[in-house]
Amino acid sequence: MASEFELSRNITIGQYVPTGSYIHRLDPRIKLLVFTILVLAIALNTSYLGNALGLLLSIYLFWASKIPISYGLSGIKPAIPFIIILAVLQLIFQGNVFSGGTLFFEYGFILITSESIRLVIVSAVRFVEIILLSSVLTLSTSTTELTHAIQSLLSPLKKIKFPVHELSLIITIAIRFVPTFAIEMEKMMKAQASRGADFGSGEWWRIIQRTKDMLPIIIPLFNIALSRAEDLILAMESRCYTPGNDRSAYSVYKALGRDYLVLFIGLLLSFLLFFYPFPY
Amino acid sequence: MPEKPIIEIENLFHTYMKRTPMEHKALMGTSMVVNEGECIAIIGHTGSGKSTLIQHFNGLIRPDSGKVIIDGVDLSKKRIDIKALRRKVGLVFQNPEDQIFEKLIGDDIAYGPFKLGLPLKEVRERVKWAMDMVGLNFEEMKDRQTFALSGGQKRKVALAGILALKPKILVLDEPTAGLDPRSRNELLDKIKFLNKMENLTVIFVSHNMEEVAYLADRVYVMANGTDVLSGTPEDIFTDKDKLQRYQIGTPETVQVLYRLNDLGYNVNTSAFAVSEAANEIIKVLNDGEGENHG
Repeated sequence: MASEFELSRNITIGQYVPTGSYIHRLDPRIKLLVFTILVLAIALNTSYLGNALGLLLSIYLFWASKIPISYGLSGIKPAIPFIIILAVLQLIFQGNVFSGGTLFFEYGFILITSESIRLVIVSAVRFVEIILLSSVLTLSTSTTELTHAIQSLLSPLKKIKFPVHELSLIITIAIRFVPTFAIEMEKMMKAQASRGADFGSGEWWRIIQRTKDMLPIIIPLFNIALSRAEDLILAMESRCYTPGNDRSAYSVYKALGRDYLVLFIGLLLSFLLFFYPFPY
Repeated sequence: MPEKPIIEIENLFHTYMKRTPMEHKALMGTSMVVNEGECIAIIGHTGSGKSTLIQHFNGLIRPDSGKVIIDGVDLSKKRIDIKALRRKVGLVFQNPEDQIFEKLIGDDIAYGPFKLGLPLKEVRERVKWAMDMVGLNFEEMKDRQTFALSGGQKRKVALAGILALKPKILVLDEPTAGLDPRSRNELLDKIKFLNKMENLTVIFVSHNMEEVAYLADRVYVMANGTDVLSGTPEDIFTDKDKLQRYQIGTPETVQVLYRLNDLGYNVNTSAFAVSEAANEIIKVLNDGEGENHG
């Protein structure tokens, strides 16, 4: 029986699953670059075949990184309502914009054509692909590696005085604390439930009541977050952290032949998805 | 009085994050019986499954497999009155002061009783009773701001918030962790009073063996997700082999008595209550003086 309080279960962001696969061992800079380009290419591809290819690719990457695909799929679950709402809206309102192809249905301003159906299906599949791809990236890369990668990919921006280090620090801290706060929230929900609180059992239209029910969790969580932030500041300052200083890194990355090969294949696939005129 | 079991746990298993790569087996076949009115200590190292076990007591976690019966309610059944159960079993989490969210002390303690739908007068009486129980003056403290309290006082408020539900069973997860010695002793005395005078069944998790020796009627030792040892504090603290095997600490009094024993003094090693141990040591000192003079 799954516990009603097991919140951390559905959070796949910020979790690192060390399996030691070759995907894990790739140079994080190249990994981040390749994944970013792939996501962009998928986001711009509107054909059935192209997205089928993208879906296959993301499933293959899960297999290659030895992370169970079921775990990646559990990350999609919270997004399902969003995907459905998006699909319905597109089906109703986009018929006029994408009016090419065969006309299937017409009622007032609602037009359903083969093109608008394509749009609906492709954007749903695309959504899944993007979630899967970004899950593989975060599940196979530790936050430290990810930060280093972001920092080094953004480092050219230092020339225009962009605070690259600060930005990557903010991203790391944000990602790092997602599971921590999920755990804190779980604990707080349990503590308040032990005092007779109940969450989400009221009727859904009584929004104000349901929001009030959340106060016993939200207020303590804010307190905890603030005191954690204070602790973090103290911990960083006592280790002589100074904003804006140049820092050396504990691990220095060096791209190997293997990494360049992956970069080449990734770029090739992206170009294919982006420029190749898929027949369907 | 015949001993009546109020909590019965048999062969309980629990796994966190099932079917994910982070799957973790927390309980692997734990059993435990708690009689009405007893004070039970649960000790064991971090990760031995103590916290998971106590969350079964008020149905925050339902059993994966095995039997959990709390005051006649079988928790493995799907349809049970979970709210009634949580009223009956008051669970005080570690650092319970985190859960205070109201501006005024009285309001925060009244949260539970209000959630029970009690009339205002009854709520007021319960808040007063609960504050009395933890040693907070009702008239003086009820309208004070919660954020300005000291750590020890905050913890008392949080405990009162649970007591105001008038539970039959009080479960505490490391109740004195992080408190200064004075607040710690005060809190222990309150817990003892609730157990002995108000006849609450008390179950507490602790790493502090002095506390265990002071409060507990019986002790359960947990290791690797099961109960490996149980008995009275005397049984546990005098079993040298098992103490070593499960790396259980002992109260300082026990350590002193064992050392005296090793050095050849004739002391009773099971006299670990502070006053009894003091008597044993005085006895040794007197004997020593006698020899010197004789």
